[in-house]
Amino acid sequence: MSSQAVLEFARGPFFYFALLFMLFGLAYRLFNVISLGWNKDRVVPMGSKSKGVVITFLKAFLIWPFIPWVKDTFNRNPLIYIGGGLFHLSLFVVIILGTPHMLVWKSLIGLGWPTLPLPVVDWMSAVGIIAMVILLINRRIHPVLKLISGPAEFVAWLFVFLPMITGYMMTHHIGGSYEALYARHMISVDVLMIWIPLSRISHFVFYFFSRAIHGQEFGKRGVAV
Amino acid sequence: MSATEKAMEAFVHETGGWVAAQLEACTRCGMCADACHFYQATGNPEYAPVWKMELLRRAYEQRFTLVGGAKLALGLDKAITDEELAHWGDLNYEACTVCNKCSMVCPMGIDIGSLLHGMRAGLAAAGAIPTDLAAAVTKQVNEGSPLGMTDKVWDQRLEWVADEWEVEIPRDVKGATTLVVFSSIEVMKFPTNVAAIAKVLNKAGEKWTVSSKAREIVNFGFYEGNEEHTKLFLNRVLEGAKELGVKRIVVTECGHAYDALRWHAANWIPEANDFEVIHITGVLGELVGDGRIKLKPGAFDNDGTITFHDACKIQRKGGHIQEPRDILKILAPNSFKEMTPNREESVCCGGGGGVIAVKAADPVRYASFELKMAQVNSVGAKTVTMTCSNCRLQYTDSVEHFNLDWKVTGLAQMVADALVE
Repeated sequence: MSSQAVLEFARGPFFYFALLFMLFGLAYRLFNVISLGWNKDRVVPMGSKSKGVVITFLKAFLIWPFIPWVKDTFNRNPLIYIGGGLFHLSLFVVIILGTPHMLVWKSLIGLGWPTLPLPVVDWMSAVGIIAMVILLINRRIHPVLKLISGPAEFVAWLFVFLPMITGYMMTHHIGGSYEALYARHMISVDVLMIWIPLSRISHFVFYFFSRAIHGQEFGKRGVAV
Repeated sequence: MSATEKAMEAFVHETGGWVAAQLEACTRCGMCADACHFYQATGNPEYAPVWKMELLRRAYEQRFTLVGGAKLALGLDKAITDEELAHWGDLNYEACTVCNKCSMVCPMGIDIGSLLHGMRAGLAAAGAIPTDLAAAVTKQVNEGSPLGMTDKVWDQRLEWVADEWEVEIPRDVKGATTLVVFSSIEVMKFPTNVAAIAKVLNKAGEKWTVSSKAREIVNFGFYEGNEEHTKLFLNRVLEGAKELGVKRIVVTECGHAYDALRWHAANWIPEANDFEVIHITGVLGELVGDGRIKLKPGAFDNDGTITFHDACKIQRKGGHIQEPRDILKILAPNSFKEMTPNREESVCCGGGGGVIAVKAADPVRYASFELKMAQVNSVGAKTVTMTCSNCRLQYTDSVEHFNLDWKVTGLAQMVADALVE
C-alpha cells in the first residue's frame, strides 16, 4: 500500500472511527461514574460551596500553573511541577494555537481563531517532547513513581508521545516523504484517540469533577482554596 | 464471608459517583507523596497517599469498570487478598492521620483524605486494623470511652476538676442552650482544659451544661472507619443533647470527633441537623468578637515567642482558621509568630487519625514530629499553642521523647488565664 493510500485511510475512515470511539468511550465512562449515584449532602455549610468552586478553578487555571512555588511541596519535587506544567502548556499551544491544528478544529466544529507563528509553536512542541522524556526518566527512577507505575502508565506515555514526535518530524521533514510522515502522524493520533477512553489519559474529563468537589468541600468549611 | 469479601463489600458501599469520579481523575503523578509528613519523614514510597488508597482503586476498577473487569479476566490484575488487606491496614492506620494535606497538593484537587477514609472502611470491615485500635473501639462500645472514662470515673473527675480549680460545671441541666461535650483526652489528661473552658463559659454567662449521657466526644469508630460504630458513638451524643433540649452542641478539643459530628453526622443521622454543631474554637472567637468576654491585651507577651499549631480537622478541614489568630493577636501581639506553612497548608502533628493510639506506629510518629520540630524551631518559639487535644497529646509526648524545652498549651487555657475579671 502506498503512503498516499495509508494517509487517506488514516485521515479518513480511521480518523472518524477513532474520533467516535473516543467520544462514545468517554461518554460511557462518564455515564458509568454518574450512574453510581450521588448522595445528597445534608450537612449545613459554614461557607459557600459555589464560592469555593469558583475560587479553586480560578486558582487552578490562572495561578498555580504559572507560579508553582507558592506550594511548599514545589521545592521538594520541582521537576514534576515544571515538567508536568510545560508538557500541558505545550499541548495547549500546539493543539489549540498551532495553525494546522486550528484548521482541523475548524473543519470539525466550523470555528476558527487566530494562531501563533510557526516558530513559536515549533519551539513549544520541542519543549513538550523534552518534558515528556524527562517525565519518563523521572517515572523510572523516582521511588514513588516506580512503585505506582505499571504497564498502563508506560503504554499511555508512549501513545501520547508518538503523535508529538511524529508531528515534530513531519514539520521538519525528517525520516521520509511528506505523505509517509503525515500518515505516521495521523495513525499515532488515531491510536491515541482510541486509547484515551481506555486509560487514565481521560483524566481531563474527570478533572472537572474532582476540582469542583475540592472547591465544594473546602468552600462549605469556609476555607477558600 | 471471607475478610476480603467483607472488605470488597465495604469498598463497594463506599463507592458512589462522588468517590468514583475522583478515583477516575487520578493521573498517578505521585505529587501527593511530597505532601505527606510520613513520606517526607521516612522516604518510604509506600507512604505515598496514592499508594495507601490502592486497594480502593483496584476494588472500584475490578467491580465497576469494563477495563478493570477485562484486566482481571485476562490475569493482568489479581483479586485482592487477605495478605494485601493486612499490609494496607498497617500502611493506613500507622502512617496516615487523614490530615488531607495531600488534597492541597493534588493537581486534580482530589479530596484524598475522604478516599483514605473510604479505604479505612474496607480495612475495618476486613478486621485489618491494629489490635490496640480495635481494643480502644471495643472499650468505647462497652464503657462509653476508649480511655476508660466510665460513668463513675467521669463523675469523679468532673467533681475533682470543679473542686481543684474552683469552677462550676453545670451537669445535666434541662433547658440549657449549649451542651458541651468534652473528650476523654481532656478529662483524663488535660483537666486544666476542662476547667478553662468552664471558666470561660461561666464568665460569658452562657447557659451551658455537660451531659452524663453525652459525655464522650471522641469517636474511635470514625478513626477505624466503621460506619456502625461511628453512628453508635454519634447517637450517644445526639441523644444526650435531645434529652436536655439544647440548641447547640459544642465539640471541645478533638479534631476527628469534630469532623465526624460537624461534617458527616447529618448524612448518616438526619436528626443531627436539629442542633447547631460548633467547635470550641468557634465559640471562643464568637465570645471575644461579641465582647462577651474581655481579654488582657498582651497577657502572653512576656513568655518568649509563641506559635500556633493548625490542627488538620479543626483548621484545614474545620474552617476555624481565623479565630485563633484574632485571639492570639490580642493575647500576644508582639510575640506571636506564624510557622510556615500554616493555616490550611499546615503540616500535621503526626499523631491524629488514631495513630497515637497505635503502638506499632511510634517510630514513624516520632519521625514525622521532627518536621514539626524544624518548623517550631525555625521561628524560635518556646511556647506552642493549639486547639486540639489529640495534637496536644502528640506534642507533650514528643516533647518528652525528644527532651525539648518547649511549653505546650491550649488556646482555651490561654484565654481562660487572660480573662479580665
